[in-house]
Amino acid sequence: MRRRRAAAGALGLTAAMVLVGCGGEDGPPTLTWYTNPDAGGQAVIAQRCTEEADGAYRIEVSTLPREASEQRQQLARRLAAEDASIDLMSLDPPFIPEFANAGFLAEIPAEMAERVSEDVVAGALAGATWEDELVTVPFWANTQLLWYRESVVEEAGLDMSEPVTWDQLIEVAQEQDLVLGVQGTKAESMTVWINALVASAGGTIVENPEAPTDEITLGLDSEAGREAARIMGEIGGGGLGGPGLPTADENANLSVFQGDRASFMVNWPFVWTATVDAVDAGTLDAEVLEDFGWAIYPQVVEGEESRPPYGGINIGVGAFSNHTDLALEAAECVVAPENQAEYFATNGNPPASTAAYDDPAVQDAFPMADLIRESLEQAEPRPQTPFYNEVSTGLQETWHPASAVSDSTPASSADFITAVLRGERLL
Amino acid sequence: MSTQITPAAGGRTPQAAADQEEAEVRRGHEAERSDRTRAEARLGWYLAGPAFVVMLAVTAYPILQATFDSLFRFKLTAQDEREFIGLGNYSMILTDPVFWSSMWVTLLITVVTVLVELVLGFALALVMHRAVRQLRGLLRTAILVPYGIITVVSAFAWFYAFDINSGFVNSWFSWVPGIDENLNWFAETGPSLFVIMASEIWKTTPFISLLLLAGLAQVPGDLEEAAEVDGATWWQRLKRVVIPNMKAAIMVAVLFRALDAFRIFDNVFIMTGGANNTQVLSLLAYDQSISRLEIGLGSAISVLLFLCVLLICFAAIKLFKVDLAGARGEG
Amino acid sequence: MTGLSTKQRVWWGVITVLVLVYALFPVAAVAATSFKRPSELNSGTFLPPNPTWGNYEQILVGDAQGLFLSALRNSVGISLIATAIAVVLATLAAYAIARLDFPGKRVVLTTALGVSIFPIISLVTPLFNVWRSIGLYDTWAGLIIPYLSLTLPISIWTLSAFFRQIPWELEQAAQVDGATSWQAFRKAIVPLAAPGVFTTALIAFFIAWNDFVYGISLTSTEAARPVPAALAFFTGASQFEEPTGSISAAAVVVTVPVVVLVLLFQRQIVSGLTQGAVKG
Repeated sequence: MRRRRAAAGALGLTAAMVLVGCGGEDGPPTLTWYTNPDAGGQAVIAQRCTEEADGAYRIEVSTLPREASEQRQQLARRLAAEDASIDLMSLDPPFIPEFANAGFLAEIPAEMAERVSEDVVAGALAGATWEDELVTVPFWANTQLLWYRESVVEEAGLDMSEPVTWDQLIEVAQEQDLVLGVQGTKAESMTVWINALVASAGGTIVENPEAPTDEITLGLDSEAGREAARIMGEIGGGGLGGPGLPTADENANLSVFQGDRASFMVNWPFVWTATVDAVDAGTLDAEVLEDFGWAIYPQVVEGEESRPPYGGINIGVGAFSNHTDLALEAAECVVAPENQAEYFATNGNPPASTAAYDDPAVQDAFPMADLIRESLEQAEPRPQTPFYNEVSTGLQETWHPASAVSDSTPASSADFITAVLRGERLL
Repeated sequence: MSTQITPAAGGRTPQAAADQEEAEVRRGHEAERSDRTRAEARLGWYLAGPAFVVMLAVTAYPILQATFDSLFRFKLTAQDEREFIGLGNYSMILTDPVFWSSMWVTLLITVVTVLVELVLGFALALVMHRAVRQLRGLLRTAILVPYGIITVVSAFAWFYAFDINSGFVNSWFSWVPGIDENLNWFAETGPSLFVIMASEIWKTTPFISLLLLAGLAQVPGDLEEAAEVDGATWWQRLKRVVIPNMKAAIMVAVLFRALDAFRIFDNVFIMTGGANNTQVLSLLAYDQSISRLEIGLGSAISVLLFLCVLLICFAAIKLFKVDLAGARGEG
Repeated sequence: MTGLSTKQRVWWGVITVLVLVYALFPVAAVAATSFKRPSELNSGTFLPPNPTWGNYEQILVGDAQGLFLSALRNSVGISLIATAIAVVLATLAAYAIARLDFPGKRVVLTTALGVSIFPIISLVTPLFNVWRSIGLYDTWAGLIIPYLSLTLPISIWTLSAFFRQIPWELEQAAQVDGATSWQAFRKAIVPLAAPGVFTTALIAFFIAWNDFVYGISLTSTEAARPVPAALAFFTGASQFEEPTGSISAAAVVVTVPVVVLVLLFQRQIVSGLTQGAVKG
């Protein structure tokens, strides 16, 4: 008896929550937007769009976990349960093909697709597309820059107005006994690094990303793959990433880069806002900030344009939402260029729309805004395959720790991932 | 995690009581007896039935479902491609080195933590047993704190203490050879497992020590006194009198801790997520079904894990029975 | 401490300090971290150089409030309900086991034993798959039901042990006075059994409160996510920032009730935990 009542109570509570999620009887329907954690910018945009909608709908944000792979997991599990409460979601581009392929994303009408694709940087558009259709709305596009300390570069006599190579960075770090900031932790950020290295060397991790699971072929076992492995192995094996490398994520890199042994670091533009904030809060010496320099992502092959990492967030509309029409409307509001510009200026996440870069607030907050736009044009997305999770986890499994990466890593990694995709190995 | 007795020990006393009762009843009227027995049986099942059904519903049903699901290739993001593959998942898992390395890591953690906890728990139990009354409450309260703490909290506490960025262990213990400020505990298998096991041991030793305390209370005091009069040293008394007399309690404690340690998940998940070859079986199952949404594969690992626990349990109960008889013979 | 020689006193002093350090040091470490400012996290010191309440503000009234407070509500609610259901069912079952002779008694006890050693992760995959198809995924009920697999067996064993010590003559006396079995149980035994039931509830609650595997696998939003799972998903002030400070603060907040309960009911918990182990 008691059990049944309790269970019924709990069910009733859930039902009540679902009702609230759908708007219930009074007030406009509430759309739930699952956002990746940021400095509160998406909540501000949600607020503004709610006001603009003028009673048509309300947007509420719900924050997802920090790790990109965890975000995917939380959403995929709910969507597999055909959850109607997911109206809008902030999606990391590599996971979009999986969602689109599984039918988790609502279709975007052709007219709207045209409107939201206008002026969008190429990488962001590619990341929002699956099988030649726009399946998500480009929101913001991220890319990594090469950050350096002016004092270090000066002593090494490097000319930073020209692109530099990874080998040059390694040499400087070795000579001056300094730490290079790279993402060596066993997580998505490590895949980002591997992908940029392979792409910059002229290769590609997955050759036919749209193929079914048992026909996918990997391009790792190649000159480009081995070149990427050489650079990673030299940094890891030589201790150039510092003792923290095997657990270093973007934030750990930043704290090393703000310290005494800093030299170079590849990282997203958030490091700029975070450092400015730290100086404003008085927890960091202003001299450190003045010593910051930035340049385009380092090359693997001298003279060959590098392919910086591409990241960011696109807005997807849940296929099982009760209000897909309103959610699509809301998505269009969220990505309005003025919202993107303000989001960049306040949260440090660069816009997908090229128009937003001309905003004076952006230019003011980010002296390197033009470099970011340039980097985005050159950027290479991670493999756009529905099996991205397997590919990425497989890479992390075989390339971690960086100190153990050798000439044979690319081939064994390709074999392993292929076996996982064929259902012959566990992950 | 839980305090129980084995069925072997559990059945004995009530069975004896029941027998006696039955004998008493037999002396009464036959008709009355059968009526009463029937009523009692009915009432017994009315009372115990709901709990019994719920227990079956929350375990037997899911494990049967898992057994069924494990025969399919079934991924949630590609639900249309579900296909029956018989024992394919099992043969794949059992030939996979990742499964076996997880198995060995899990066993290593189980053996090491249980052994350390047994020694440490015994020491703590002795302290609590011998403590003067004024200290007893304080000591027990302190020891119960790790028991009551959430495992995830314990994992974070140990993780942050050892973490190369936010930790203080490296600077405190830099005088120990091998430890300096550049030691990254979570970069290699050995140190990672060390911290994982330390957290596990810290959190669960109180449980084992309380079970041992209960065992200590059962050791006949006069035996110990006699040994003392005979001039036996403290160590000899411990070895010859105390430990043999509490063998049963030790075995129960070891069995339950071992089965609990075999399921280790929280500490590994929080500290390394399985990096540096610290993958354990529970995490492997989680990765397949929850992260990859490969329901078929995950179910197969779940079933295998269940079989492992059954195996350990049966082996231990057999050993335990022997030991119990042996302990009695000596006493 | 009369009756002890000075040497013994010193020894007991040393031992007590050692035990206290062992039991409380990790808690102290996490508490110390919870008072550090973001810029002090990497200072490598144990104590915060400039203690701040900032992390507590963050989780109780700040940005992380939504995540933490809802998790706290879920954890308390779900654990209490799961404990209550388990204790009610277990009380009935334990009475039958301790008192009545009926076929299948050993089956119930053995089942409880089997359930308590069951590898939880084995239940997660099938439950996740079933829950998502019948709509229990990410709901309170979706956690309460599996929590019974944690709380029910231990409750049955602990209570059976308690009930065996109750003077059942009282019940027989009541029955002689014309009460039925049920009335006798309710009037004569329940008041005597109450302390045991309370202790059992306390232990069962600790176990439900500690759960992580179910919590992380069968929920995905604030609607049902309990504290341990929420801790693992905490986020810093911005996308890439480490949530070390807020996790530590949240860890302290959820540890305080545990310490209070332990302080208040130390004697009961110890007797409850040792009860089932020795008395057959």
